[in-house]
Amino acid sequence: MASFEIGLSGLQAAQSAFDIIGNNIANAATPGYHRQRIELSSAYVAQSGSTSFVGGVNVEGATRMIDTLLEQEILRQQSILGAVAQEASVLGTIETAFGEFAAGGGLNAAIDEFFNAMRDLSSHPDDSIWQNQLVNAAETMASQFRTIGNYLSQLDGQIYLQAENATDSINALIQQIAKLNGEIEEVELVGGQAHSMRDQRDQCISELSELIGIQVIIRDHGVTDVSAGGIPLVTGAMGNDLEIGYDSYGRLGLSIVDAGNFTALIDGGSMGGLLELKNNIVGGLQNGLDTLATAIIQEMNTYQVMGVGSAGSFTELTSAPVGNLSELDGLVSGDVSIRLTNTATGEITRHTITIDPATDTVNDVATAISAITGMTASVNTADQITITADPNYQFDFLPSVLPEPTLTDFDAASPPTVEVSGIYKGLINDTFTCTVIGDGAVGNGTLELEVRNGANELLRTVNIGAGYAAGDPIELGNGIIIGIGIGDLAQTDGDTFSIDAFATTDTANFLAAAGINTLFAGSSAETMAVSNDILNDPRRVATAIGAEMTDNFNVTRMADAKDTALTALDGMTCGEYYRSIATDIGQQLSTKQLHQENVEVMVLNLENQRNEVSGVDINEESAKLLVFEQMYQSMAKYMTILNESLDSLMDLA
Amino acid sequence: MGTLNGIFSNASFALNMHTKALATLQEQTYTGSRINRTSDDPSAAYRVLGLESQQRVVANYMDNISEATSSLEMSADVLLDMTTAITETTVNLTQILSGTYGLDQEGQEARSRLAQQIDDILESMVSSANTKHIDQHLFGGTSTGAPPYAVVREDGEIVSATYVGSREERTIEVAAGIQTDIFYSGEDIFSADNRGEPEFYGTTGAATGSGTSNVKGDAWLTVTHDGTNYRLSIDDGATEVVVPLAGDISNIAVTDANGQVLYVDATNITQTGVERIRVPGTYNLFDTLISARDLLKNEKGLDGDTIVDLIEKSSESLNEVKNVLIEKQVTIGTKINFLDTLRENLDNIKFGAEEEATGLEQADIAQIAIDIARREALYQMSLSMAGKLMSISLLDFI
Repeated sequence: MASFEIGLSGLQAAQSAFDIIGNNIANAATPGYHRQRIELSSAYVAQSGSTSFVGGVNVEGATRMIDTLLEQEILRQQSILGAVAQEASVLGTIETAFGEFAAGGGLNAAIDEFFNAMRDLSSHPDDSIWQNQLVNAAETMASQFRTIGNYLSQLDGQIYLQAENATDSINALIQQIAKLNGEIEEVELVGGQAHSMRDQRDQCISELSELIGIQVIIRDHGVTDVSAGGIPLVTGAMGNDLEIGYDSYGRLGLSIVDAGNFTALIDGGSMGGLLELKNNIVGGLQNGLDTLATAIIQEMNTYQVMGVGSAGSFTELTSAPVGNLSELDGLVSGDVSIRLTNTATGEITRHTITIDPATDTVNDVATAISAITGMTASVNTADQITITADPNYQFDFLPSVLPEPTLTDFDAASPPTVEVSGIYKGLINDTFTCTVIGDGAVGNGTLELEVRNGANELLRTVNIGAGYAAGDPIELGNGIIIGIGIGDLAQTDGDTFSIDAFATTDTANFLAAAGINTLFAGSSAETMAVSNDILNDPRRVATAIGAEMTDNFNVTRMADAKDTALTALDGMTCGEYYRSIATDIGQQLSTKQLHQENVEVMVLNLENQRNEVSGVDINEESAKLLVFEQMYQSMAKYMTILNESLDSLMDLA
Repeated sequence: MGTLNGIFSNASFALNMHTKALATLQEQTYTGSRINRTSDDPSAAYRVLGLESQQRVVANYMDNISEATSSLEMSADVLLDMTTAITETTVNLTQILSGTYGLDQEGQEARSRLAQQIDDILESMVSSANTKHIDQHLFGGTSTGAPPYAVVREDGEIVSATYVGSREERTIEVAAGIQTDIFYSGEDIFSADNRGEPEFYGTTGAATGSGTSNVKGDAWLTVTHDGTNYRLSIDDGATEVVVPLAGDISNIAVTDANGQVLYVDATNITQTGVERIRVPGTYNLFDTLISARDLLKNEKGLDGDTIVDLIEKSSESLNEVKNVLIEKQVTIGTKINFLDTLRENLDNIKFGAEEEATGLEQADIAQIAIDIARREALYQMSLSMAGKLMSISLLDFI
């Protein structure tokens, strides 16, 4: 009775269709679900002479509606989206932390206010109000640097933790995918269909692609291998757990657990974004901010250490912990010149100690200072050097010229006195030698001085003969002034004198590196602070470098440093460099946001395309339901008619 | 094909997009600014941050200019008062020279009264020279913390006013690369610096030598004779120089212990006595007033003609000092004018920077209102469309 079998197969096919349609509708909102389509074929057709025997309908199975290329493109775009979204999110918080355009202003304003306070102080160098204002502005700026520096450091740590968490999530997905791969292979190897498991596995792969950029290889029996950045994550039913660590360049990367072969070349997914943030973006920002902070610290300290404030010279100074000189930032082989004043006699002398960081220790420096009459230096257990003036002595590091020539070679019975004053404004340490031309008394006849620099270049010739009133000031150039008193000079005796002029009294950079008489302590944005000595006594802000200690030359050049293009800042000024950092964050964020928006649209479009292929349309399913309902009803009627036909036949019998 | 997931995704995406846009527009509405963070417009943000920085710097410079102008105006006022006082003194001296006051007892009393008046003026001048402005001495150069002139008194009278301030002028930066003096050195302000040949007033026959002397203002050369040689001194005999009997005596250096030297041509010295030495172009205000006061008091017992002669010279010295003060007033006035011009320029720069920053930063409120309305409509349409698509179903017709 083939007819009954045909009817039965039709009823069974319709029933199967109902199941599939029902399953589709039930999963209409299930993430990752791919709709299925029943596959029917006409069953067994046999020909016997002129008679055909039709076998009804066969249910071949259900087809999972999937476009593999489309799915792979979605995975790729999801990875990109994951990375970009991660980077944009973190950059957004960094931008907020920098606080530009927010109420209260950011570091840009703080830097301006600091240098403006410097300029204000240059108008009132000995006024405590302006000294305090400067210290407050310096502390505000330093605290802003610290706040952002701390934030970036914490962010760096948070990114590491987030990467660890992401690794855990990745590992969980890897194991799920591997497990499902095994189960799918098991089912499909024996000819079964594992559509649901495939959906589950593909959903895991989709989630994995949001975490890390992956490459997918589809193999036989439904197995899918997954790799990322050359690391095999899933091979068949085997999954490799990952761990995070640093590669040989110090970059954060991923490796298979215990393999120790870390690679930072992971693109895509939130993990790719985190690695990019950790290895490039945040690190780059930290470097930039530290470079700026260090440049300001060094620039200010270089001027500060040489000068004095309204508090005057020192009786005691203590450094920061120094440690090994060879490891001290910025210290080079050179000299430190100390100006020592005997307060009882008024005598001022200059003493130079030579420091070679390769061979000297801080104790050697202390010993060299202690060898100067009137000074003592010691090193405590914290490796801090303390320089102390003996009673009736004061010391400083002023570059000002001494009141008398460094060397004088006058042979006359009644030679003149030479007074030296002024503030040397040259850029390099130099020695000016003045040689007498002509013989006679100062203020008489033809008598001149030839002034030559250390390179023996003739700078000028000045008249000290007739027309020159003894003692009148003579400008030598570069700010140095001399006055020749009454007396006799002779070229024939080779009369000459020389003046040491200092642009810096610390060619070794020891004072700034060791934190002696500095304005700022610290060596990075995170550690930048106003030094305790200055906080305790704002009168020690070094406004002056002249011997009278009343000038504003030092504080003026400190204020001018704001507009100085610095090599350390790639030829930019402090303000320009900071603004480039701050707006670079904005630029990166803006680019990432735009990229994110583009990729979101792309993913949306791809998902729409996937929905067309794989999504469940309730109306379409409803229409199919009607078709198979009709089919079912028709087959049932067919069976009824067959049954009635048979009954009629039986009635004939 | 309208799958449930597709409709939901599209609706969700659209709503999210409109919500973000509305949030941005809302922020722009309440801040009035289209740039609320650097990422809103990085290149404009860089420019705005730079312009804000420029405004702060310019404002700082303008504060400095105001302060400099204020100090210089104060200095100019002080100098004007001093000039007026000197003019009055000169007029009074002229009255003496013109014979208003005779050389009799009555005339001497009148001169004593004028001496007292000059003494009062001297006190006032010293006080003015030590004037403070905003806690800083105007005429101490860089040394603004202490009075620049220290006086020595004898019997309550000022006998010397010594400059103890700094020779360096206090300069401040009033614009990028432009510095201006705000506190002058008193030595520069109150002293002439145009040394001339010393003039000898006396009967000894001494004359100026060929060397360049460094004595300033008024000095006295005492010529004595020890029986063999003439002896010369510029410090009342404390330090003496012997005029040799033979050799060249046309340029004898007469020195004192303070490093002062007066070159004297002793060739024609024929008698002892006191020579009044006057070095034009080297007078300072205080020494001149002290000298004029002492002259009027005639404590050296000079005869009437000599007094008249010397008063005339004192009057000339005061005029020299007055001219110095007038020159300085002109210099200061020019500087004030320069600073006024500079302030106007900086004001323009500041205004320009503010305007440019505002132009870059300011939100277009009308445009925002239009954008909000548009986004609201799109938001509602997105909701409406999602609702409609989801509500239409074949199931309703089965």
